[in-house]
Amino acid sequence: MARRTPAAAPETTLPRAAYVLGGNRIPFARAGGPYAHASNQDMLTAALDGLVARYGLQGERIGEVAAGAVLKHSRDFNLTRESVLGSALSAETPAYDVQMACATGLETVVSLSNKIRLGQLESAIAAGVDTTSDAPIAVSDRLRRQLLDLSRARSAGQKLAALAKIRPKDLAPSAPRTSEPRTHLSMGEHQALTTAQWGITQAAQDEVALASHQRLAAAYDDGFFDDLVTPFRGLTRDANLRADSSLEKLASLKPTFGLGLDTPATMTAGNSTPLSDGASTVLLGSAEWAAAHDLVPLASVVDSEAAAVDFVHGVDGLLMAPVFAVPRLLERNGLTLDDFDLVEIHEAFASTVLTILAAWESEEFGRTRLGLDGAFGSVDRARLNVHGSSLAAGHPFAATGGRIIATVSKELHRRGPGTRALVSICAAGGLGLTAILEAA
Amino acid sequence: MTVVVLPDVPGLGGLYARAAASSVRPRRQTDLPDVAYVVRSVRADPAHLTDYQHLLAESASDLLPAGYVHVLAFPVATALMARADFPLPLVGLVHLSNRVTQHRPLSLADTFDVHATATNLRAHRTGTQVDLVTTVSVGDDVTWRGVSTYLAKGVFLQGAGEDDRSPFVPPVPTGQWVLASDTGRRYAAVSGDHNPIHLSSLTAKAFGFPRAIAHGMYTASLALAGVGAARGDAFDWSVDFFKPVLLPSTVSVRIASAGTAGGFDLAAWTSVPHLTGNVTPTP
Amino acid sequence: MSSDTYLNLVNSGFTGKLAKQLGLPQPTPLRRFTPGQPLLEGPVLVLGGPSADELAHLLSADWDLDVHRHATPETRYSTVVLGLTDLTHPSSLGAPVLELSGVLKKLARGGRVVTVSRAARTEDAPAVAAARQGVDGFLRSIAKELRGGATANGLVLAETVPVTAPSVVGALRFFLSTRSAFVDGQLLAVDSSAGSLPSSWDRPLEGRVAVVTGAARGIGESIADTLARDGATVVAVDVPAAGEQLVAVANRVRGTALQLDVTAPDAGTRILEHTVTRHGRIDIVVHNAGITRDKLLANMAPDKWDSVLAVNIASQLAINEALLASDDFSDAPRIVSLASTSGIAGNRGQSNYAASKGGVIGMVRATAPLLEAVGGTANAVAPGFIETEMTARIPAVTRQVARRLNSLQQGGQPVDVAETVAFLASPAAGGIAGRVLRVCGQNLVGQ
Repeated sequence: MARRTPAAAPETTLPRAAYVLGGNRIPFARAGGPYAHASNQDMLTAALDGLVARYGLQGERIGEVAAGAVLKHSRDFNLTRESVLGSALSAETPAYDVQMACATGLETVVSLSNKIRLGQLESAIAAGVDTTSDAPIAVSDRLRRQLLDLSRARSAGQKLAALAKIRPKDLAPSAPRTSEPRTHLSMGEHQALTTAQWGITQAAQDEVALASHQRLAAAYDDGFFDDLVTPFRGLTRDANLRADSSLEKLASLKPTFGLGLDTPATMTAGNSTPLSDGASTVLLGSAEWAAAHDLVPLASVVDSEAAAVDFVHGVDGLLMAPVFAVPRLLERNGLTLDDFDLVEIHEAFASTVLTILAAWESEEFGRTRLGLDGAFGSVDRARLNVHGSSLAAGHPFAATGGRIIATVSKELHRRGPGTRALVSICAAGGLGLTAILEAA
Repeated sequence: MTVVVLPDVPGLGGLYARAAASSVRPRRQTDLPDVAYVVRSVRADPAHLTDYQHLLAESASDLLPAGYVHVLAFPVATALMARADFPLPLVGLVHLSNRVTQHRPLSLADTFDVHATATNLRAHRTGTQVDLVTTVSVGDDVTWRGVSTYLAKGVFLQGAGEDDRSPFVPPVPTGQWVLASDTGRRYAAVSGDHNPIHLSSLTAKAFGFPRAIAHGMYTASLALAGVGAARGDAFDWSVDFFKPVLLPSTVSVRIASAGTAGGFDLAAWTSVPHLTGNVTPTP
Repeated sequence: MSSDTYLNLVNSGFTGKLAKQLGLPQPTPLRRFTPGQPLLEGPVLVLGGPSADELAHLLSADWDLDVHRHATPETRYSTVVLGLTDLTHPSSLGAPVLELSGVLKKLARGGRVVTVSRAARTEDAPAVAAARQGVDGFLRSIAKELRGGATANGLVLAETVPVTAPSVVGALRFFLSTRSAFVDGQLLAVDSSAGSLPSSWDRPLEGRVAVVTGAARGIGESIADTLARDGATVVAVDVPAAGEQLVAVANRVRGTALQLDVTAPDAGTRILEHTVTRHGRIDIVVHNAGITRDKLLANMAPDKWDSVLAVNIASQLAINEALLASDDFSDAPRIVSLASTSGIAGNRGQSNYAASKGGVIGMVRATAPLLEAVGGTANAVAPGFIETEMTARIPAVTRQVARRLNSLQQGGQPVDVAETVAFLASPAAGGIAGRVLRVCGQNLVGQ
């Protein structure tokens, strides 16, 4: 092949745009529900096939597919590639796994978009999947070590010796923990600390939850999700959605987190996300690829910023990293919160949304922690999570990013050029990932 | 001062056995023996270090965590306490506090000497306390110094003293420790400290505890591990022990930046306080 | 799809013999179309007057068939074509018909008899009209006489339509081929010389973009498969709840899935928008989505009536309105709607369904003229008893009886309906407009 001459002055060339062209997900199920026996690979393959069917990508060689799962079997070391091989896409589509806790899905969107912007890729599928029903169960550390010793043993004597070391209690399985490895607190207990710190009431949290259910239900009724969701295993809507929820019902629920704190416990099953199963996909591409495939760009992925907080030493709440990511992101892009028509803040808990908003609205926090002259700003609730979010839809960890990006991209396209969206996802490990999208 | 040079770091099991045997003899000493115990050319074992790091959730590194150095060095001090002329009975001593100064971290590659003395025998409200001072040096260079204060309850060699520790107020937790019933056995396996009060309910009951209790140094070392890399290479690590942690137990923990002063405050508690302390980086 | 155990039993060993001795119906398994299959196996006999010459030429020269102009004794003919466009008096029917009589007993399994005649009109001379209408009764009768999976169908040409018109050629080929396996005793009118012959008879829909509603399963699924096999790019439409099956269909046919409730007010716009955006054009719309909510009228709840009418006919009217208003639906477009024999003959307990399906027949008749200017057509296909998940739910005895109530003594397969839809959607069918073609094995009910 002839060697190409180096591109002239690449440093002066702005990256081209990367577009969200569409998405597909399966309805999110509650743990132990209709997907109880579906694996991550089953769900991801189904979500990919739905995307292929919607956009006519059968046999298509996509540039790259990146996906991930937070709870993953070790046998799923190549989960995404295996799912691609099981899908209607071309078997020549490269794929790889990504893991960034609950930000996995958004991270695949961001990193693949960047590759498209750089010209490395023309098309890509960003995805995420998680199952808490079919979560990997590990053997105990002791048993694992002994089994490994056994597998390394050569002589019968060595093998017997290795076997003899196994004790009955070693056989007890060890289920994956959803608690933070360094603090051993569950996400809910962490958020309870943050909730108490910011003085968020249960009533305020319940309002967020109710709006989420009502807005998601309305979007389904309007057919908004007709080209975003493909049923799976008989489930046609998100199983957690309660269209008939009410403040009274929510208020009647007993708090489940923060029971050991001095302050009143306010976080209930109603204003927290349940353990969920599901998968989501987002189709990304360059303008050229979109045109060649008769696809309409919905939104461009403009920029992204990640942040992390030191929750281990109590400096900030576990899920507060977006509070820091967004000001950096907006400053770089010369924008303020008022410049956004849509704001998507992942509802890990209702209080996550409220504590993030409270921090942005706090004069003191703005000055002391964000290095601003005053408060960072406030978000008009009418622009926030306009079609509901995780409280209603459920939250299969790695699948949430794809759900949000596909939903908000479609809404941006509906609203037309010039509209802009801010997306924020908090994640385990004190992580936060945020992004700006603009209507194409 | 007499210097006793031991060929190797002694096993704690043997020391306890010897001390238990000697405890039946009446003690006439009211002063500390003027003796130093020394072990030269100690090196850490990589597999042992790894076991320790895994158990304490320390980062895997060739550097020896300060708590691990305690595990390696303290048996030398224990050998001193196990002497027949040591004025306090080894079995039944209560670990009141522990202060470690690390000047620089030791590594797997280091060959070091351990030097232990006992000092500052003094009165306590409920008995008599003593400081065991252990230093670790590479050549002439002291890299680690630990002062472990032990209390012999009910032994009044010099009358009763005061408890000057302020009352504990539970702070906002930053995390918790979920300590299983085998916690004592697991730390015993790594530290060599098979004191029966840590091993099982049955053996602990024999010594008047309702259940097995966690090793104080285990909780102190967990707290140090919780500080993580922010502690730096040189620091003071100081803990006071309160009530023992009965196993199994879920313990609330606060390991937090101490604010403008720098360093980290440590606290561990359930319905009662178990540990307070701090880790302060030093220049 | 349910399996016809009876059909299997009477066609195998001992049970087969027993059935024959008992005089039970002897249905023959029908041969269906597969790509690359020869059009006919065995010689063709072409009978009749001058128009038969033109047909014989078509069959031998263009389609390379072994064509006989007169019956040769002891020959097993696969097909007999009767060119009857020149009839002037009922008496002139005798010669060709009696020649056919001589070869019928030796007609091959799955054989074909096709008449090509002209429509009787009020302005015709009474003798001419009598002869022409006589073909109708004759054809329907021999269809009932034929056995061994053989069928008889007729083409009824308008006065000005030559036998070489695309739709005559296309329909003749359809009737001769295994594509029409379950079409029997039907007289299909060819109204004009519109339409065009495909460049490939195996892929007549090449380059065409088709929308199929209710495509997730059953007949709709088969229509999607068949249109794709014939070369069309398929947009598979079904309600969001059927999305999982719809994905499988869309991916199999390498088309696109569009989750859509056809009763949504914007259904037509969304179909147009999706199809034109994704595929650049829209040529064929198959209105297959339909529901049944069977109840005697005396027990009919309003929602059962309303929902059936809304899905089965109102949605089609609304979508057609959007199609007719669109400049994109203008290159010889095709609308094919699923009617039902219930809509023709009525069915106890299906007053709602029959009203909707009768409505479909009226709708295509009135829609066809609106599409004429752009070379378009609207037609309906009326299935009889088809083996689907829906008919599998009919009680066993009723189902057995229903299957046998036609000349082929068996239920049809979804693909039989699909083949007929594909034919009416093809470029060659441009001269057939506003018509209903039954796929019923010549069901005893109705016309």
